[in-house]
Amino acid sequence: MALAEHLPALIVITPLSCAFMAPLLYRRHALASGYMVLLSLLITLVMSALLLLKVNREGPLSYQMGNWSPPWGIEYLADPLRLYMLVVVIAVSLWVFFYALKDLEHELRREVIGWYYTLYLLLVASMAAMTMTNDLFNLFVLMEICAISSCAIITIKQDRECLEAGFKYLILSAMGTGCYLLGIAMLYMVTGHLNFEYLQNELSTAVAIYPLNVFTAAALFIVAFGTKAALFPLHVWLPDAHASAPSPSSAMLSGLVIKIYAFSLFLILYQVFPRSLLDSLPLSEIVLWLAALGVMFGSIYAMMQKDLKKMLAYSSIGQIAIIFMGIGLDQRLALVGGLYHIAVHAVTKGMLFMAAGAIIYATGVRKISDLAGIGRAMPLVLAAFTIGSASMIGIPGTGGLISKWYLALGALEIGRSLFVLVVLSSSLLNAIYYLPIVINAFMSEEDFAHKVNEVPKMLQLALVIGMIFIVVAGVFPRPLILLLGEAVANFF
Amino acid sequence: MEMLSRLIHNYFYLAAIILFVIGMHTMLTHSNMVKKVIAMNIMDTSVFLLFVAIGYVRGGKPPIIDGIGETLYVNPLPGALILTGIVVAVSISAYALSLIIKIQRAYGTVDCDEICQIRGDE
Repeated sequence: MALAEHLPALIVITPLSCAFMAPLLYRRHALASGYMVLLSLLITLVMSALLLLKVNREGPLSYQMGNWSPPWGIEYLADPLRLYMLVVVIAVSLWVFFYALKDLEHELRREVIGWYYTLYLLLVASMAAMTMTNDLFNLFVLMEICAISSCAIITIKQDRECLEAGFKYLILSAMGTGCYLLGIAMLYMVTGHLNFEYLQNELSTAVAIYPLNVFTAAALFIVAFGTKAALFPLHVWLPDAHASAPSPSSAMLSGLVIKIYAFSLFLILYQVFPRSLLDSLPLSEIVLWLAALGVMFGSIYAMMQKDLKKMLAYSSIGQIAIIFMGIGLDQRLALVGGLYHIAVHAVTKGMLFMAAGAIIYATGVRKISDLAGIGRAMPLVLAAFTIGSASMIGIPGTGGLISKWYLALGALEIGRSLFVLVVLSSSLLNAIYYLPIVINAFMSEEDFAHKVNEVPKMLQLALVIGMIFIVVAGVFPRPLILLLGEAVANFF
Repeated sequence: MEMLSRLIHNYFYLAAIILFVIGMHTMLTHSNMVKKVIAMNIMDTSVFLLFVAIGYVRGGKPPIIDGIGETLYVNPLPGALILTGIVVAVSISAYALSLIIKIQRAYGTVDCDEICQIRGDE
């Protein structure tokens, strides 16, 4: 079928075109607009799944925008690795949007909800394109779309905290893209290419002639993506931004947006820089040590928080660091663990933010100390919180165990047992701040002191879907692990 | 000495990097939000300058093929890329400035340190 060969472009275009129809439709039929967005995401998910099947059957697919062939035109590459990330992005955003439909009415003024849909779809489209693009400059443009829309879904709430947090996020993210663009300039200067594949070929000879340019570019890329993905110590913007945003935005930002940057850095390190450069420069070592520090400090900061959403935000810093560790260890099993953690953490943290959102929806309580006895008042929401916490800690039967298991296996394989300790202590530290909330919620002597409104059915359903996924990811990880194992095999 | 002569030869690269560092430093250290946005623009512009300078070929002509012999052409691609970059930078600064207006209404100041104080007092 003719349409089938344009799937990579259609996956980006569908949410993009619906983005601008949503607010128009919202003025007349608010409900229909919401369902249209849901439908467009569903169609995108189906197309991504079809593409994944097609690629699994026929091998990687290269799509040339406007039929301009690679060194000049923009190329989208659909290989199993990128499509895995694509499916995660679309599936999680569909799921979060399902939750957002009801929750937004509570958190935003009515007249901006239509515009929220626009921003949401723009964010999804840019992330979907970021997974597939094979062109450095195209990646820059997509990163900027992603940055603006992710700031805007924070500041759309328009209270003082959100505005300030959003501005801080915007400035640091502009610094990140500035560094990234300078990095592109450095590479373009010595190679004359922007396509990943052509760059890699040229760079293997260019490194010998212009080493300084290439080293500078590598440093700039690490700073750029480190800032955007909140790699310690460039994480300062994250806690305020993720904690003050509306709950669906928090779920999206913590669940997907920071990971897409980590994934892009991974692609650049492995697909743009030649292997010889990676062996001669301690790039992965730098990422690895920063990640190890991030695991520790993210968790320690999280322990000191009194606000529930702030605690979850700090915990994201520790968890993104786990993904960076998978990239930095530079070993196949560890990489599989890190990539698996992208999906697991996207769902886990998304669900925890949804549970926190549901608690705020029903009771208005944000402080951790006020949650005593809430488990008896809202059993389902707290059950979701418990499963999410279990996955964060890595208790058997949840997805969190699998990714940490592979990460630890990979670290042992290359004899770096120190990082196994880091992974273990991350679990321990997570237990220290997640478990008291759960225990306090269910076992506390006193009853919950605040009035509890009913949680809408759709919110509950979204939480149930999340719980099911986490357990399935913990019990049947095999197909995904096999897919990832094959996808990364040619990097080593 | 060779380093110096190379620097003088490629003075536009040096200018771009100096502007980049000025922009980045101001953006991260100044507490006034409007100055941050200005610095952001300086930083972006410096990269645009560097990019366009890469495409320049000494003695090159505009890349319009008129069929008269072999000549040296300037690389047109960086210019086209930077056009996109400029559009992106404009939209980011427009958004940042609109945020500053909202922040000014909410806090009565555009100074980050003062906002921190106000939030600390709450």
